[in-house]
Amino acid sequence: MTIRRAIRAYPTLLRVGLSEVVAYRAEFLVWILTTNMPLVMLAIWHAVARDGAVGRFDQKEFTAYYLAVQAVRLLTSTWVVWQMSMEIRDGTLAAKLLRPVHPLYAYSAEHLAAVPLRALVVSPIFAILVYLAGDRLAIHDATLLVIFAASLVGAWLLIFFTMVLLGALAFYMESALGLFELWLGIHAIFSGYLIPLEVLPPWIRGATRVLPFRYMLGFPVETLVGLETHASALRELAVQWGYVGFFFAVSLLVWRAGVRRFAAYGG
Amino acid sequence: MAMTKSAFAIARRYAGLLRVQIRTATIGAMQYRADFVVRGFIALLWMVVALVPLVVVFGARQQVAGWTFAEALVVVAWFTLLKAILEGAVSPSLTAVVEHVRNGTLDFVLLKPADAQFLVSTAKFEPWRIIDLLGALAIFVYAFRLLGRWPHPAQLALALVFLVLATMTLYSIWILVVSAAFWVVKVDNLSYLFGSLFDAGRWPIDIFRGVFRGALRFAFTFIFPLALMTTYPAQALLGKLAPSTALYALGGGVVFARVARQVWKRALRMYTSASS
Amino acid sequence: MIDVKNLSKSYRVHRRAPGLGAALRSVIRRRYETVKAVEDLSFHINEGERVGFLGPNGAGKTTTLKILSGLLYPSAGQVRVGPFVPQQRDPRFLQLITLVMGQKQQLLWDLPPADTYAMNRAIYDLPRAQADETQKTLVELLDIGDLINKPTRQLSLGERMKCELVAALLHQPRVLFLDEPTIGLDVSMQAKMREFIRDYNQRFGAAVLLTSHYMDDVTALCPRVIVIDHGHLIYDGDLQELVRRVRPDKRVSIRLSVPIERAQLDKLGVVVSADAAHVVLSVPSGKVNVVVRDALATLPVVDLTIEDPPLEEVMREMFSAHREGTRDRAVP
Repeated sequence: MTIRRAIRAYPTLLRVGLSEVVAYRAEFLVWILTTNMPLVMLAIWHAVARDGAVGRFDQKEFTAYYLAVQAVRLLTSTWVVWQMSMEIRDGTLAAKLLRPVHPLYAYSAEHLAAVPLRALVVSPIFAILVYLAGDRLAIHDATLLVIFAASLVGAWLLIFFTMVLLGALAFYMESALGLFELWLGIHAIFSGYLIPLEVLPPWIRGATRVLPFRYMLGFPVETLVGLETHASALRELAVQWGYVGFFFAVSLLVWRAGVRRFAAYGG
Repeated sequence: MAMTKSAFAIARRYAGLLRVQIRTATIGAMQYRADFVVRGFIALLWMVVALVPLVVVFGARQQVAGWTFAEALVVVAWFTLLKAILEGAVSPSLTAVVEHVRNGTLDFVLLKPADAQFLVSTAKFEPWRIIDLLGALAIFVYAFRLLGRWPHPAQLALALVFLVLATMTLYSIWILVVSAAFWVVKVDNLSYLFGSLFDAGRWPIDIFRGVFRGALRFAFTFIFPLALMTTYPAQALLGKLAPSTALYALGGGVVFARVARQVWKRALRMYTSASS
Repeated sequence: MIDVKNLSKSYRVHRRAPGLGAALRSVIRRRYETVKAVEDLSFHINEGERVGFLGPNGAGKTTTLKILSGLLYPSAGQVRVGPFVPQQRDPRFLQLITLVMGQKQQLLWDLPPADTYAMNRAIYDLPRAQADETQKTLVELLDIGDLINKPTRQLSLGERMKCELVAALLHQPRVLFLDEPTIGLDVSMQAKMREFIRDYNQRFGAAVLLTSHYMDDVTALCPRVIVIDHGHLIYDGDLQELVRRVRPDKRVSIRLSVPIERAQLDKLGVVVSADAAHVVLSVPSGKVNVVVRDALATLPVVDLTIEDPPLEEVMREMFSAHREGTRDRAVP
């Protein structure tokens, strides 16, 4: 019953979400400018690679990698942690819980509504990427492109659910945002955001295969930049969606438990 | 009353006000004690995370853009130091002003017979950033041990001058950002933007020269104040700073501060003529 | 003390129609409208006077207060408070005034009000002894001795407003701007606040400008009212005179021992309300004596009182009359 109602309400939620994104256009612009770390790292590695390649990464390869990171990051990141944390703190969540539609539908709708606008912003980056380093990309390989698209969706979902999980921790602790910062720090290293995973020392590389961070960013990027074979890409895709399922379940569980606690203690 | 006071009396008054503000801000920050420990720990962790790229980069090369690992460490140390000042004193006040504008309580600040810029700048700060400061000191010591020498007193003095200059520049940039918040009320992300742009200051500015010639020239305009804040002080400490550059930087910093104050005043004027 | 001449204030507001198309369009281009908040306002307030600003929502009351306190610049006209022009925000001017806004506090949220008082003492550069004395007096008057050391966030709205008053009055301002100070408070708290404001006014001789929705505030505190509607001043003078002028009818309130037929009541005057035991008649002032005499003679009266009509009604009538008068004028 609630799912059906949610599906009926979803288009409106999306529309509202889009209006919000448009209303806060300055904020949106600011946020885009905030995600500039990949470009900074690119500049650095570019300088380093001037005298020679680092592993299999020469200047062009670095360009391809970091532009891809920039694009994927802009497309997939979410702000739901801050939103949830704030709404739990100031009690706005109480109002949302009274609605017959699960708040998570509202959150997801807001974030999905932002995707078209983000895609608009990311397209120039993709264009530049193809122009500068087209021969290194997997754009001629249809299978890999499909896998890339699937991995993008997977990354979006994975990030969304892990963020919901982190946000739900605000039900339990004051410093949930602090924990989130911790997460960001670890993510920066283990997802390939700061440094291509191949360039990292081998013991870190091993950990990245197991931890979920890589599947939020590194995996889609590496697929696009042609660092994966068909077989390995498909394998990784399976792992990614496995993680998606896992975090979907866990985040819902923690959310439910958190809401019960919220209701019990009056927020 | 205020008109007949001498400059010295005004300075004394504001010094006293500063003391009161710091006291109030400290008590306010102490209200959330658990946060203190967690935040301190996270600050340390971020420092470690920030060092990883540096270690990896210099694992591949001995020198990058004319900087050795130890010298780059000095830049990182300055960066950490200034980051502590940014996030300990400057950024908290920024978010407070945005909150004031949103809640309509900025009016109360404007009604006080003290300079509004001063009041909002000293309203809040986060004491656990002391840990960042200690971390910066540790990196300094380690870097100079690697270099096998210590800075001369003259270099130290010059570096301290740059510290003041850097803080002033950082603060001026922040004032510009806050003034922007008057035009675009919901700008929570602005402190993140500021922090992210500032992050590029972790690296010696020479690395960015000559890269993507056209596009980076624009970025350079933002990064240049960063050069002022991290690379130049590091060079001063290492004795690598040309005197002409130092003077140029000092002049530029003072001009920048004046411009920022004018923008703030402009923003206030706009606020008081347009708000309802 | 407060002198306002031909004050006008208008500002631009962004207008956007609902709907997706309009939303997307507003990304590229925004449409602005000019709103006239205040138009050609003129009045004069003396030292120590208590004046109420009345008007419907959006009439321009808060805008006027903000202009008087220097928070907003007027678009046209002259404003003087004492020898000062508010918008120049001379520190001496700021020492002279205070602004209290209902439901907004200057109190620091995480700290006890006492810390805010200490901060204000430093900001207003008050001598320690004088500030302590003032604080003590105010705290006693408001009876909040045990509250000022509790963090503000733990106080109820009423308690917060009381503590807010102390913070606002610590520097003994001579002009009080009170913008809806009793909003959201319960009835007893409202009464206490009114009493306090009157006390303060009498003790310190401070002028009080009060805006309020609650007619009781105005009736209890302000012998003089200024009525603003749509930014225009439509009345400035004695409150009682206003009532008399707009509604020259009196209310005769009769309590009966036995229910009486409606027809009989209609003969006496216009029936405003009638239930089994209680009748309220609206009677022109001139005919009150006759009606009272007749009622006492012909009705089983238990109790009879003669009252002014409630201020709300007076105001409502006043605003609708004003609006009818301006309907024919062209609106841009």
